[in-house]
Amino acid sequence: MGEGIVRYKRDVWGEEVILGVSWDLLWVVAVAVLVLLAAHAIIMAALANRKMDKPSADGRRVLRHETIDRLFHWIMAISILVLIFTGVAPIIGLRIVWLDIHWISGLILTFVVIFHIIRSLFWQDFKSMILGPRDFAEPFDSSRKPGKYSFEQKGMHWTVTVVALLVIVTGLLMFMQIDTPFWDRTNSMPEDQLGLVFLLHGLSTLALVALAATHIYFALRPEKLFYTRSMISGWISEEEMTANHDPGKWSPQEKETS
Amino acid sequence: MVATSNDVMPDIELYQPTDATNALALANTLGRDGWLLAGGQDTFGWLKDRNKSPSAMIELTQVDAWKGIREAADGGIEIGAVTTLTEIADDPLVQSRFGLLATAAGKVASPQIRNVGTLGGNLIQDTRCWYYRRGLSCYRAGGNTCYADSPEGLNREHALFGSSRCVAVSPSDTAPTLVALDATMVVASEGGQRAIPAQDFFIGPARDIINMTVLNAGEVLTHVRIPGTWANAEFYFEKVADRNVWDFALVNIAAAIKTANGVIEDARLACGAVECVPRRLQTVENALRGQQRSEQLAEQVATLATEGAQPLNYNHFKIPLMQNLVKRAVRG
Repeated sequence: MGEGIVRYKRDVWGEEVILGVSWDLLWVVAVAVLVLLAAHAIIMAALANRKMDKPSADGRRVLRHETIDRLFHWIMAISILVLIFTGVAPIIGLRIVWLDIHWISGLILTFVVIFHIIRSLFWQDFKSMILGPRDFAEPFDSSRKPGKYSFEQKGMHWTVTVVALLVIVTGLLMFMQIDTPFWDRTNSMPEDQLGLVFLLHGLSTLALVALAATHIYFALRPEKLFYTRSMISGWISEEEMTANHDPGKWSPQEKETS
Repeated sequence: MVATSNDVMPDIELYQPTDATNALALANTLGRDGWLLAGGQDTFGWLKDRNKSPSAMIELTQVDAWKGIREAADGGIEIGAVTTLTEIADDPLVQSRFGLLATAAGKVASPQIRNVGTLGGNLIQDTRCWYYRRGLSCYRAGGNTCYADSPEGLNREHALFGSSRCVAVSPSDTAPTLVALDATMVVASEGGQRAIPAQDFFIGPARDIINMTVLNAGEVLTHVRIPGTWANAEFYFEKVADRNVWDFALVNIAAAIKTANGVIEDARLACGAVECVPRRLQTVENALRGQQRSEQLAEQVATLATEGAQPLNYNHFKIPLMQNLVKRAVRG
């Protein structure tokens, strides 16, 4: 049936229903992300000599991420990468036994996201991640420094939140359509509804591919590497903090050194 | 979607290479668009029902290098993939050394079909799930559901094992036979040749829900090599179907057993039509080795064959059927 963003098929009654997303878009997304990130890298390289020196990582350290939050981040990262790989493998023709790994990773992602939502609501500083109208001025005003999270970080977080919740909810609905150790499938969801679920899962997968690539790119950028380090070891230096954040909006604890 | 009587055959580019080089070059050039045609007994059903419409076909039956049965140095044989099933069933060399294959080839469909149907075609043929063959957009057809394993699904012929979303089975009679004989599939492409054990040649839906073999675009199954290892062993083949001719197996079994003084030295057994691939019965084989061949042993190992079976709504009967076939194969 016709290919655009959406693929259609005839259901058992001969009616045209949604089948899912067109996987040609996977290549469109991959190329678009590569081009945009390459363009960003070139522009940043051209502007590099105008930048100030990098703040030192030496000296006093402040705590940016607690151990449990770092653990959550890396479990989530691994599960998302495994989900993307196992989901994309059959589409690009890799013959691997992917489905069991896919749903197990999906369940792990679901559990850690539920854990994160509960922890962020009751044990973390939830307000530090709220994206308010004033945050939108931040990229255009170099005198404005953010609190714990910058505008870009909040934007990435909330975009990933929406996309991850969409991929989880649709993934769980798809999970119910296969046999698992927990149940035998009923295979009774109407085909039009099933197609919509597949479409939303596919679209959120494409978004997740783009977001994961963008996130990894920025995590590896030289000027952002200290954030990546903080996601491994938990700390940033006081100099890195004052250069990039407003101590009036974020006053972290000192990181205990062992 | 459904066959109609007022339309005509769609346009198809037909290529009829007469040598292997040309055939492989065409297969490479056309890729997935080049439908490989041998006896046509799978193909013509698809075309008649208008459920597949290939733009090009490569007819392989004029390639002499891929025809015939030759003796191999190790006491085995090599069979060209476009050798007809009748030729195999009637061949004295196959009958004398690998009677199992001669019997299985002679049980395929009907005499008329065996006269044109080829070994390669019988091995590579698509599954016979009627929902899929009717042209419904199921998982195997690129869709996102299985009609056979649904509350109203009729799945009497479908899988007991190894289903992953799709519950279709391998319909071939020769495939389990070649697994039991430890055969090797020779696959050629313009890039060269590769030899694949029969057991690994077939793939289930967990690995590839659309294709039933490991053949890639541009590859052609050219020969089947049967090693001398199992020549003149004690063989047993039985096919149970709804009618004696022109039907696919509900369950079939192929067994090769080597005995000395009534003790089983080695055994290979495989069942067809219970999984998307020929199901090798390794637990049964392990239980048989070193045992005296007897009625009691047959009773003991039969239940091993169906361990882990996951019947659907209408195919529970395949469990006792499979067990009985194993019993009969072990009894000999």
